[in-house]
Amino acid sequence: MNARLKRYSPFVLSLGGGLALWQIAGSHSSAAFMAPLSATLERLAQLIEHGRLVELFLSSASLFASGFALAVIVGMPLGLLLARLRVLREALDLYIMILYATPMVALIPFILSLFGFGFGPKVLVVFLFAVFPILYNTVEGARSIKPELIEVARSYRSGEWALWREVMVPYTLPYAMTGVRQSIARALVGMVAAEFFLSSSGLGGLIMTASQSFDTAGVFAVMLIIGVMGVALTRIGLMLETHFARWRG
Amino acid sequence: MTLAAVSPPLRPARMIFAGPVLPRLVAGIVILSFWEWAVRSFAPDFVAKPSAIAAVLPHVISGAPFHESTAITLASTAEGLVVALLFGTAIGVLMGRSLAADRALRLWINGFNAMPMIVVLPLMSLWFGYTGYARFATIVFAAIFAVIVNAAEGARSVPKDYVEVGRSFRSGSFRMLFEIVLPASMPYLLAGLRLATGRALIGAVVAEFFTAIPGLGYFILYNSRTFHQNEAFVAVILLAGFGVGCDWLISWATRHYLPWYRRDEKVE
Repeated sequence: MNARLKRYSPFVLSLGGGLALWQIAGSHSSAAFMAPLSATLERLAQLIEHGRLVELFLSSASLFASGFALAVIVGMPLGLLLARLRVLREALDLYIMILYATPMVALIPFILSLFGFGFGPKVLVVFLFAVFPILYNTVEGARSIKPELIEVARSYRSGEWALWREVMVPYTLPYAMTGVRQSIARALVGMVAAEFFLSSSGLGGLIMTASQSFDTAGVFAVMLIIGVMGVALTRIGLMLETHFARWRG
Repeated sequence: MTLAAVSPPLRPARMIFAGPVLPRLVAGIVILSFWEWAVRSFAPDFVAKPSAIAAVLPHVISGAPFHESTAITLASTAEGLVVALLFGTAIGVLMGRSLAADRALRLWINGFNAMPMIVVLPLMSLWFGYTGYARFATIVFAAIFAVIVNAAEGARSVPKDYVEVGRSFRSGSFRMLFEIVLPASMPYLLAGLRLATGRALIGAVVAEFFTAIPGLGYFILYNSRTFHQNEAFVAVILLAGFGVGCDWLISWATRHYLPWYRRDEKVE
């Protein structure tokens, strides 16, 4: 019990201190500038009670999930394919690197005018934000596969399928998982960007309407939700990465 | 438990110049021709395509609006980065060297670092109005947490021997900081800077989209809305070049000035 108390007390103190600071700073500044914790939570409760928040959260979550899943479905197999086909990898790695470093938000106006602002274009935005970290890191992993491993597998006459299952996938997966962790964060940015700049929807849309009606407590309430979402997703990404990092040779 | 999101691997610089030229050239030509063909056969006339972008390129890059937009965006990104770097390194080093500070702040820093920074945009426009200050604040907010996280990680991983040698020669805390802690955590600071630069650039563009203040983001927005997609795309190319250039510069600096540092030794 005592050890537990010792372990968690800094965490609780830090959380409590920060929240208290938020409350004090909020209640000593004007309502349009900053909302104290109490007002934020009150507003949050109102939004939940209204049923709107759950609905908007689900809309955002499905956008995130679709775009991110698409990025994994496209990025991982393509990355593995590039791992195996050396010529293709050498041909494309430069372009993947460039796209990895390009701020994808800059493409949003083009997507808007080409595809409009339905659910599909929004998924495309999330996908573009998320796919390149996965691809980049998978290719990076593929570059570091030791040729000896493949030679050994070959000299034992392993077929293509066995080579993939026993060498390529286990070797590249830890790197791909680093990419997955990075792209979780980026997909979240993409989600909010799509909701801000294509058509106002989901949690991002709620922030917009709240800020336009000077509902500062509403802005803080949604920011709190998105922040918690970010922390939870980052945790999951980190867990995935450390789980697979054990394989790293 | 390590801090979240330390940094991506530092290696892209070699990819540009080393390696086979021919496959890349072929791939580049294939990609561009496919783009050209797809737009010509399926898309309306105003959609950006390589040949048209190449045609407007000289005209755009010699034009005053493009110069002004570029100068404004890059200058405010640089300003924001400097502020984020100064304060971020100070806070990060404090966290790395003092357990109390680390325990008090870590939870919040990690939380903010995990939050997609563009959600602060509406708040910033509420606080600062639709002005350059909102962009500046967004850039700082976007960049600072990556700097803090990496600086803290760097300061924490300073070898104990160095600190002990410093102590036994009775060096003061000032010299300890500037001659031992900061140089030893340089690779982490550079990794943080690399991450922060990318995020700052995104922050700048997004803020310009949102508040419609002049800059490269607004240049893209305005031109693409008025059916000048080819002109707008020139700015996208510049942004991509800037992103790649910063990455390259930082990994070059890491290899050139810190050759003893290998990225494999780094915590992931």
